Amino acid sequence: MSIINYARKEIQFKIVYYGPALCGKTTNLQYIHNRIDPGHRGDLVSLATAADRTLFFDFLPVNAVAIRGFSTKFQLYTVPGQVIYNATRQLVLRSVDGVVFVVDSQWEKMEENVDSFRNLLENLEKQNLSLDNIPYVVQYNKRDLPNVAPVSYLEFLFNNRRKRVQTFESAASAGTNVFATLNSVSQLLLHKFSRENQATGATTPAPR
Amino acid sequence: MESIPVLTIEDVADIDGILQDYIQKSESDLAVVVDKGGNVLSQFGDLEVIDVTIIGALAAGSFAATKELAKRIGEVEFNALFHQGNGTHMFMTSVDEDTIMITVFGSETTIGLVRFYSTGAAKALAKILNVFRTRTSPGFNFEEGDLGGGAVFHENP
Repeated sequence: MSIINYARKEIQFKIVYYGPALCGKTTNLQYIHNRIDPGHRGDLVSLATAADRTLFFDFLPVNAVAIRGFSTKFQLYTVPGQVIYNATRQLVLRSVDGVVFVVDSQWEKMEENVDSFRNLLENLEKQNLSLDNIPYVVQYNKRDLPNVAPVSYLEFLFNNRRKRVQTFESAASAGTNVFATLNSVSQLLLHKFSRENQATGATTPAPR
Repeated sequence: MESIPVLTIEDVADIDGILQDYIQKSESDLAVVVDKGGNVLSQFGDLEVIDVTIIGALAAGSFAATKELAKRIGEVEFNALFHQGNGTHMFMTSVDEDTIMITVFGSETTIGLVRFYSTGAAKALAKILNVFRTRTSPGFNFEEGDLGGGAVFHENP
């Protein structure tokens, strides 16, 4: 859940990259870390095994646009994709504001993709959350590989809910559509944040 | 327990007041209050060399990671964790169901002193955080036009 801090004039948001093992979640964060202005980001923290598989999570703090003098700080997390680390995925999803679901487009990964998407729904439900009220986008990754499923089939599997969302064909290792994905989910959650604060008739206390 | 969506200037002053008193008495270097989702609520002390955002995320993860270990010996979770370094150490204590206080300290004090004063500080924090959670949020008033139409993040070539 976003936190507004009037003393430090900042708003914090949390975005989680979710998806099956080896689908490219960490690669997304690595590319963002490499291509964002160093003044606008912190260190990329990766808790990985010797084989570069995410053991716990990856974490990248980034700063973005200012809204009425408040800086916006986004905390980007990945979850460990391997099935056994479900407790960690539940932890990382805690107080999430936006989700990027990363799909490995290769045919042989389709079952893992579906299982991971189902696991995301289950883990959100455990926290009384749902994709119906959390901004999310879907990234069809590894489109540069030869054995990928057609986008229409991926749309049928992962974007066939009542609410259709934005999807991106990407190749995270080359950076294709990595920033487009991040910008899309960030815009969605900022607009949701704006709508919710207007709906509650909230008023900004006078600055001191 | 609900997260805290809004911290006013007065809220942060109240938290900082408790942290300042705690740091002085325990002779620690830094105290950070984070929620268990890893969001930093407030920090006080020597911030020169430490990125508290990363400390917050990792501490929340570390706390959660030991939860299963605690269950094996019949506990719900550990109330406190201590990481001993060569010269700098870290002590983490649970403030309430949703909040952790992290203390960084050096060789000029001891774990006993830090632990002793952390109990009072954690209780005081829990009390005021509970007030923040149960009141009506002051919110944040802005319009979609304030967001601008451009990209939130820019990609360097």
